[in-house]
Parts: sequence; structure tokens; C-alpha cells
Amino acid sequence: MRGARVRRETMRSNYRVNATTQFKVLSCDQLSEIQSATMEVLERTGVNIFDKEALELFRKAGAKVDRNRVRIPSHLVEWALKSAPSRVVLCDRNGSRRLFLEGHNSYFGPGPTNNFTIDVFTGERRKVRKEDNRRTGILVDALPNIDFAMDLGTPSDVTATLADIHAFEALLSNTTKPITAWGFDVSGYQTIIDMCVAVAGSLEDLRQNPFVCLYSEPSSPLQHSEEAISKLLFMAGQGLPAVYTPCVMAGGTAPATMAGTLVIANSECMVGVVASQLKREGAPVIVGGVVTIMDMGSTVFSYGAPELSLLQAGLTELAHYNGLPVFGTAGCTDSKGLDQQAAIEGALSIMMAAESGANLIHDVGYSEYGSTGSQLQMVMANDIIGYVKRVIRGIRVDQNALAVNVIEAVGPGGHFLAEPHTLAHFRTETTNLDLVDRRRYDDWKARGELSMGDRVRERARQILETHKPKPLEKEARSKIDQIIQDAENRVGK
Amino acid sequence: MAFFEEIASAVIAGDPAKSQELVRKALDGGAKPLDIVDQGLMAGMNVVGERFKRCDMFVPEVLMAAKAMNMGLDLVKPHLDSASRAGTGTVVIGTVKGDLHDIGKNLVAMLLESKGLNVVNLGVDVSAETFVNAVKQHSPQIVGMSALLTTTMLVMKDVIDALKEANLRDSVKVMIGGAPVTQDFATEIGADGYAPDAVTATDLAKGLLG
Repeated sequence: MRGARVRRETMRSNYRVNATTQFKVLSCDQLSEIQSATMEVLERTGVNIFDKEALELFRKAGAKVDRNRVRIPSHLVEWALKSAPSRVVLCDRNGSRRLFLEGHNSYFGPGPTNNFTIDVFTGERRKVRKEDNRRTGILVDALPNIDFAMDLGTPSDVTATLADIHAFEALLSNTTKPITAWGFDVSGYQTIIDMCVAVAGSLEDLRQNPFVCLYSEPSSPLQHSEEAISKLLFMAGQGLPAVYTPCVMAGGTAPATMAGTLVIANSECMVGVVASQLKREGAPVIVGGVVTIMDMGSTVFSYGAPELSLLQAGLTELAHYNGLPVFGTAGCTDSKGLDQQAAIEGALSIMMAAESGANLIHDVGYSEYGSTGSQLQMVMANDIIGYVKRVIRGIRVDQNALAVNVIEAVGPGGHFLAEPHTLAHFRTETTNLDLVDRRRYDDWKARGELSMGDRVRERARQILETHKPKPLEKEARSKIDQIIQDAENRVGK
Repeated sequence: MAFFEEIASAVIAGDPAKSQELVRKALDGGAKPLDIVDQGLMAGMNVVGERFKRCDMFVPEVLMAAKAMNMGLDLVKPHLDSASRAGTGTVVIGTVKGDLHDIGKNLVAMLLESKGLNVVNLGVDVSAETFVNAVKQHSPQIVGMSALLTTTMLVMKDVIDALKEANLRDSVKVMIGGAPVTQDFATEIGADGYAPDAVTATDLAKGLLG
């Protein structure tokens, strides 16, 4: 047969594969230098800690404690980094292990505690209601590229001091996906964990297969409030995963330089790691945060700046270097609505976060520099994440993919549309996005000339009107209702 | 009848061997050839068309289905009486002079065949004269023209003028397509129809046949 050739397996050495795209901001030497600077700051300048138990733990471990100022020796940081697990697995509400927060695995979800929302049905920017948290739960449950839930707003129409547990209950009731949540204080945390135990069966079962992690934030620069660190210690004590997430503003609460800002953020993360390990060796802790610039015109904490993506990537690489799971930030914007800026900032930050391999990437749907939680932004991001997933997967190169025999069979001037090889591969090699429009002009026109924004609104409404999340088991449901009622009664007294 | 449904399923699944096997069985079992086409092969292809429009199926799958349909049809054709064969209609199709692009045009040809139409594919770089001669020879109901380039699409008007000159314009419907072609352009040059893609083109052809 002319041209036919059986390809025998060729002996070949030193062949390397890029199974995914490759991306790196900092070299090993640079990471080591930033880590050393971090430990120098902790040892020389130290940090302020405002929690008695934490101060005592640090003092006992050999840190130099002067009132609230704690200077941490480098060996203590190095010990804590060895003690903290390099991976945390989050489960769904049914206990199935879903999110493997390890290596360069990336998962996306919304963010927490915004004051405002944009109503999907009316377009109005208004205060958040508990119904919005329910909607967020339903959307997260339905969107295939959103992996975990956060509340996307603190509800204003419930008992103010119980807004945290109401927001959590709304999520827990409307999605089976893992939840990352926030509480005002340890008592709020305890109530949230009680609700989780009602679902899991026991604290031990929840610890074995956690579907929740709770986060707290130090106050940059280098301050750790009683609230922040007591919540962290509470979670460590329970053996449940905690996120310790500094929010650092280059030029404001950190030096204007990117490297200096990373030193501040990393220092705060290290305090969280040491504190959690002193409380309980091996306690699961996830570091990361929101590291960006203060916009020197408006003074806002920017959620759309290129520096946010760059700093997030740097902080992610530092966490990888230290062998810790990373809390990332992406899919957010400074724009006030679902416009071109929102799409640009949302898309590029998602791409950067995924390329750097942050693990638990939050704030998808943050708009208006974080003031507004936008479900529409999240629905749009679902498509963006689909796009990015395909890019990250890279280009497979092997005999089958190279398809030299298929090219020979088709020859010049032919086409590949009807080849079995095409049929076998086109669905896996290419990605179908949900809302991106590639229709021909006439077809697009006939369907009402919808913009991306129009289609996002249509999809969001359609999901909210049709998606029915799996309800909680009856027993868990009634226990959770009782927990909420008890909390209300306590406040009422 | 369940048997016709199986044939339709083989077409939808894009399984030419299965389609042929089932058609052969149906013929041996004494099924009416026209029923095999209408209730089996064509019924399957209609489902494929619908799924394509809903984005549940994609071009390579549609083409495999068309192949399954056409392989089955080849077995039935000799058994169809001349009346039912004549009823299906003929399309002369080609990419116009100066243009070598033929994937889109071939897609249309394949799908027209899968609708049971007799397609005379003139290939690429087809002159107005060749189109006119083909119309004289095959007496089609439809002439289909394709162009990918903004320069060559203008040749479509030359072909229509040549058909007019040869007094053949009124005996055929003219449909056009290709990346730069629009409905406005079709109207401007006096074509009877325009389709943006291959699946729409088959609907258009059936519409033009009445």
C-alpha cells in the first residue's frame, strides 16, 4: 500500500510533557527570598495579637511577647509549616469527597458578606435579603463550573446579630456543594458547626468529611484581632479547616511595592499557620487572601486591578512553596454592573488564578470593589471558568492526537468533518460554552440580538425559576430549624 | 412500527453498518421501500436536524448520520418505483468560478442527499457555462451556488444572468450560500433563497421544492 507504514514504538529518552499550560511569576530563589524577608519581619518587627489564649500559646512556644507585640522566631514558623497539612479535602453535603485542595488544583466559588446585591429579576441595586442568599445557593448548586458556595451578601432583613447563621442556613438548605463561610464571632461559628453536625451526624464525622470551612481575617498591617484569631483557634481546636485570609492594600496597609506587599500578606498568613498549629498540631489551615492595591485616586481596595491578579499569583506561589493549601481571589470587578469592565476584570483574574494554581478561589461575583455581590457576575463567570478550564488543559501530543494517518487519508483539499477520528475527538478536544454566542448573524438577529449581559440575565432567571436543589433530610432539617430558633430566643432575651 | 424506529435510531447514532443491515432485513421481510425511507431513514434524519438546531448534535455527528442515511438509501433506491424516485427532486450544486473552497458546499450536498434529493455536485471553480450546461443536461429544480470569497461571490450574479440568457432561469430556483453571502446580497442578485448553514440549506431546498 502506497505510503502505508506501521509505526512501531520508538525507543526515546529525555522526552518531557507539558500536560497543562505552564505559568510562573516568581523563581525558586525569589520565593525563598520573600519567605526569608517574611521570617525576618516576624522575628524583628513582630506582630500585634489581641487574643489572650493566642498570646499565651505564642509565649509558651518561645516567642518574645511584650504586651500585645509578639516576635516570632524563625524556627517556630518552620516547625508550623512542617506540622500543617499540605492538603485539605472538602466534601459535599452528602459526605462525598469533592474538592482536593492540594497541588495546583483549582476550584471556584463566590465571595462573602457584601452589603448590596443586584436583583436578578429587577436589576435594582439594593440591600441583601436572606432570599438573595437562597438564590446564591440555588445558582451555585446549578452552575457546573462553580465548585463551592459563599453567601455573596450579609442579609439585612434578619436579626442583625444573627445574619451570619441565617446566611449560612440559606446556603446549606439550597446547595449540596461545600460551603466556605464567615461568622461574627466564636458563638456564630459554634452555631454554624452545630448546623453542620446536624447534617453530618457527629463532629467526628464532620471532621472526617468536612463540607464546610470557616474564614477569618487579620487586620493589615500585621495586626490580629481577638475576633480573627479566636475564630481561627476555635476551628483548629475542633480539627476543622479554617481559612486565614489577610486583605492587604499595596500603598496603604503595605509598601507600594509588590514584593513588600507580599511580605506583609505572607507574614499574616504565617501567624495564622503558627497559631493554628500551636492550638492543635496538624490542624487543617488554608492561607491566602485578597492582596491588591489601594487605588490612589478613589482610595478603594481594588478588586479589578491587574496587581490583584499578579499579587494573588505571587501569594499562591508562596503558599505552594510552603506546602500549604491556598485561598485565591478571582472573578471579581470594580465595575458597578455587568458591563465590559466587569467581563475584562472577571475573565483575566480567573485566568491568572487558574494559571497559578490557587486552590479555593473565592470572590467570583464580587462587583463594585466588593460592595455588591452580583449573582449575574457569577453566572457570567461560569462561562469564563469553562473557557479557562479548556486552556489550562493544554495540548495533548501523542500519535493519536498528531493524526498523521488521518491527514494522509484525507489528503490536500479534503476535509476532516466526516472522519471517524474527528467524531471520536471533537467533543473532548473542544469546549462548548453555555452563554457565549457563535451563531451566525441572521440567527442571532432572529433570536432577539441578545448581548452577553442579556443572556446572563436570562440564564440566571431560568435557573432560579427551574432548578430544584436536593432538600435536606427531614431530621437534619428540623434540627437546623431548632438551632436557628434557639439562637433567636437567646438574642430575644 | 418498531422496526422502522430501529432504522431511525441507527441513522441518529450515525452507524452506517447497522443502518444497512436493518434496511436489508426490512427489504427481505417485505417492508414497503417507501416506508423504509419515510418512516425509517428520513424520520431519523429529521430528528438529527432538530437536535442540531438545539445544539445537542454537532456537524461531525450530523455527517455520520447522513452517511448512515445514504448507505441505507443506496439499498432501497433500486426498489423504489420511478414515480417515487422522480418525486424527490434534483439539485445542481457547485462552488463558483475562481473559488476552490468546497467544504461548505459538500456539507450541503451531503445533507441534501440525506433528504433524499438527487444531487449533481459540479465541484469547485465552476464557470457559468458549466452551470448552464448542467441545467440543460439534468433538468434540476434547484441550482445551488457557493462562494467563500467576497470577490468570487460576485460571480453568482453572472451565473444567474447566464441562466436568463439561456432561457433557463424560470425553470429553476437558485439558492446561494457561503461565508460572505447574506440575504440582502441574495435579494440584490435575484436569487430565490439564501441559507447561512448546511442544515438551514436543506430546509430551504425543501421549501423551494414546495
